[in-house]
Amino acid sequence: MSLAWRTARRELRGGLRGFWVFLACLALGVAAIAAIGTVRGAIEAGLTEQGAVILGGDVEVQLTYRYAEPNERAFFESMGEVSELVDFRSMLASGDERALTQVKGADEFYPLYGTVKLTPEIPLADALAGRDGIPGAAIDPVLMARLGLDVGDRVQLGVSEFVVMAALDRMPDSSGGGFSLGPPTLVSSAALATSGLLIPGTLFETEYRIKTPEAFDLELAKFQAITVLDGTGYRWRDRRNGAPGISRFVERLSAFLVLVGLTGLAVGGVGVSAAVRAYLASKTEVIATLRSLGASGGLVFRVYLLQVGVLAALGIVMGLFLGGILPLAFGPILEASLPVPVELAIRVRPLAEAALYGSLAAALFTLWPLGQSEHIRAATLFRDAQSGVKGWPRPIWIIVCAAILAALIGAAAWLSGLVMLTLWAAGGIMAAFVLLVLAALGIQVLARWLARHLRGFRTLRFALGAVGGPSREAQAVVVSLGLGLSVLAAVGQIDWNLRNAIAGDLPDIAPSYFVVDVQPDQLEPLVVSLEARDSVSKIESAPMLRGVITQINGQRALDVAGDHWVVRGDRGITYADAVPAGTTITAGQWWGEGYEGEPQISFAAEEAAELGLRLGDSLTVNILGRDITATITSFREVNFSTGGLGFVVSMNAAALRGAPHTHIATIYAEEADEPAILRDMAKAYPNITAIRVRDAINRVSEVLEGIAAAITYGALATLVTGGIVLIGTAAAGEKARVYEGAVLKTLGASRAAVLSNFALRSVLLGLTAGGIALLAGVAAGWGVMVFVMETEFQVAIGSAATIITGGILATLLTGLMFAWRPLATRPARVLRARE
Amino acid sequence: MTDPVMRLKDLTLSLDGNAGMVEILKGISFDVMQGETLGLTGASGSGKSSLLMVMGGLERASSGLISALGHDLTPMGEDALARFRRDNMGVVFQSFHLIPTMTALENVALPLELAGEADAFGRAATELEAVGLGDRGNHYPSQMSGGEQQRVALARAVVGRPKILLADEPTGNLDAATGELVMDLLFDLRDRTGATLILVTHASELAARCDRVIQLRDGLVLSDNVAVAAQ
Repeated sequence: MSLAWRTARRELRGGLRGFWVFLACLALGVAAIAAIGTVRGAIEAGLTEQGAVILGGDVEVQLTYRYAEPNERAFFESMGEVSELVDFRSMLASGDERALTQVKGADEFYPLYGTVKLTPEIPLADALAGRDGIPGAAIDPVLMARLGLDVGDRVQLGVSEFVVMAALDRMPDSSGGGFSLGPPTLVSSAALATSGLLIPGTLFETEYRIKTPEAFDLELAKFQAITVLDGTGYRWRDRRNGAPGISRFVERLSAFLVLVGLTGLAVGGVGVSAAVRAYLASKTEVIATLRSLGASGGLVFRVYLLQVGVLAALGIVMGLFLGGILPLAFGPILEASLPVPVELAIRVRPLAEAALYGSLAAALFTLWPLGQSEHIRAATLFRDAQSGVKGWPRPIWIIVCAAILAALIGAAAWLSGLVMLTLWAAGGIMAAFVLLVLAALGIQVLARWLARHLRGFRTLRFALGAVGGPSREAQAVVVSLGLGLSVLAAVGQIDWNLRNAIAGDLPDIAPSYFVVDVQPDQLEPLVVSLEARDSVSKIESAPMLRGVITQINGQRALDVAGDHWVVRGDRGITYADAVPAGTTITAGQWWGEGYEGEPQISFAAEEAAELGLRLGDSLTVNILGRDITATITSFREVNFSTGGLGFVVSMNAAALRGAPHTHIATIYAEEADEPAILRDMAKAYPNITAIRVRDAINRVSEVLEGIAAAITYGALATLVTGGIVLIGTAAAGEKARVYEGAVLKTLGASRAAVLSNFALRSVLLGLTAGGIALLAGVAAGWGVMVFVMETEFQVAIGSAATIITGGILATLLTGLMFAWRPLATRPARVLRARE
Repeated sequence: MTDPVMRLKDLTLSLDGNAGMVEILKGISFDVMQGETLGLTGASGSGKSSLLMVMGGLERASSGLISALGHDLTPMGEDALARFRRDNMGVVFQSFHLIPTMTALENVALPLELAGEADAFGRAATELEAVGLGDRGNHYPSQMSGGEQQRVALARAVVGRPKILLADEPTGNLDAATGELVMDLLFDLRDRTGATLILVTHASELAARCDRVIQLRDGLVLSDNVAVAAQ
């Protein structure tokens, strides 16, 4: 056993007293990251293991706008048992009441996996069969409540009547579909045939679910599908990744939460560093004695590195235990609150990841003070033994610290897969860190200056003097609290601005309704009837088809443009003859009115730049199974942020006019008249679907609220760590305050004066931390809103007030927690003890 | 030396220690006259510092009576005692007890500020000047030597012109030369302000400079010798 280890072991005999902040900070940071990873692992495992159920089959092939051709159907059947589902939005009508619904038309084989849960519990076949010759429908209970429906009531979809047979409590494949505006209605696809809703040009999707034999080569089938289906705009999904949207969302959100967790670890690092510094300060005499007995600086460093290493390992193990166990303990709550299946278990990867982050953070924050301990000399024994560790560590330790920091950022970037976001987050944390340290130093200088120049405000001056004095309290408090509050402030500002932009500003500029599936012969009478209403201020309409950009300059679009949203699925495509009113051409030339030559495309300018498209490039667009290759001859400005009509691709009229299509219209109307407009429109044109923008906005707001809540919880974990550091700092300062209180009382200060002095300095520090956090949060919010979201930014006053108040309350409460001893202790006892 | 500034009668003090209640003072009675310089001596543990703490209202007597400047200190609460000290007493400790987060000037001005004096800093600066530290006002205690810190503590003790000056082994932490300098300053200040000085000390040469010396042993007055000063 080495001398360093023997000495370290003897030192550790003193126990872990004084190390609870060290252990708590490290354990909490590691636990948060481990818990996020464990939950993410559980969701991913759930999605993988339940992939076939979520998807509704081992394979799903989705077609837009059409049913499968015989050869395609034959290909599906060659893989196994096939179920066909028709999926589209429509209006469900009950008397005069109408509501948007997502219609699912199922065949008799649905569902291939899992079961549909209905109330009353009747077989699905019976529910869809209906009664008295009227087909049946199973409707989402929320939708039933909204329309005041009971089992046995009649409803209409298009021109067809259905009888409500049951409430649709759960479809086994409901979580894989992602974001949906209308609650579902399940009917038999055969019954839809006469509804008038699936006529050519209607926006619908068909989903072919296939139950394959057990030992089926999915990869080979996926490859074969390219030969049969390529260029038709089909979408292939299989059970290996049954809900790619959710997987991607979970992956992104958890990676982001890990970054928030790393902020927590950085805050904890302040506490860890302070704890090591305080420990080394208390050991100054021991170190000086060791040095006087001949120990080298290196030996001293190793002795304390080993001790800190043992403690760090203990903290990390505690964190891994907590982070692994907590999700299991809250398993039932998690399972109930998440819309996806979860398979909770202790998994090695997230724990290893958390341990790696914990070890690197512990090393980063302890090496500096440990390096400083090398400077403690034997002579310290004879003077100033309580001065603690000071100065710069040797250059080697500075280099090692920089290398660890790089490793930490590199690990986060690699493991999260979000390189740019990690770099931005790391930059942000470091900038906030530096800003907070500078702010703390600045506030100390300012407080010192004010304390010297303020005359007459006794209590304030005492508090300012204490804040500006030589203690490290100001830095520890401002940095530890400020970092957590900064994250919270940024989330608060971004969340409020996003929701304000969507739910606050958008309804004022956006249309009241989007109306889709308007048949060409319905457009004119619809527009005329709407224009006759005083409440309607504007109607815009455009022909709309859906198509997939399959090739760019003869190359597979997905290979050229990667994961860009424009090429990822089917998009709305329009056509026009003359330049539509309000269109701004940014480059190239619009085809002339009456142009009948080779197909041409006008492409949205911003998206074109993102895709690297240039004038003269050719695009192949698959519309209704037919490939149309056209040349890009102009770029247009398209503003998607106002909620108006906006198409990435617009073609010359002659290229598309002959294809079956419908029209889309936007109606700008007074809010009060919206229900009447919907009622009249739906009565006159039962096939069309109207989407109320306010409802859509509310739905988006709800989703945003959920995401903001998840991030806020992450930020709160950071704040809890900050709170521990705060309590640790206050606890460490208690002795000094007891002493200060005793001297003040000796000189004639009342207990109220002592208390207000302590309280005021806490308020000053909290105010500083909150103020800086608010600045950082506002800066982050401004950056995100202006540069990423490209919208306006306003300071969210409510969130700002919460941050400032939170900062003050946190420091005040922790300060007061440790104020009673200085107040209660008799001066003589304290002062004599120091003699 | 006419009227007593302090009266102690049957004063006892018991404190709760690790081994149970310990009787520190077992019945002390004496008067201190105005302008007097009183030395309290005795071996370690005799109770002299504890007695000084009780006289300064920093410790509450377990029984007996104690009055200062005609005020009965016995029933006073902690805040009332603090106010009384602020207005009437200055205290100097062996370990200086300066507030580490305040500069020398701020430490000296503190009692005046607590008393609501308008020109606290002007007077504090004058007092610092008087102890030879006029140029060190902006230094923190950690930036000063022990002797300098004790001089700041002396300035702080007398800046409010207290009627009673209490000093608990003020040279105990200083080397001989610095200690002598500090004692000269202390006696000068006493002479200048006319305060009554009550001094706890081990040093016989210091005791020799006092008008009167009370020697304690085991919590009791062993001797009360006015003549020591004359020897």
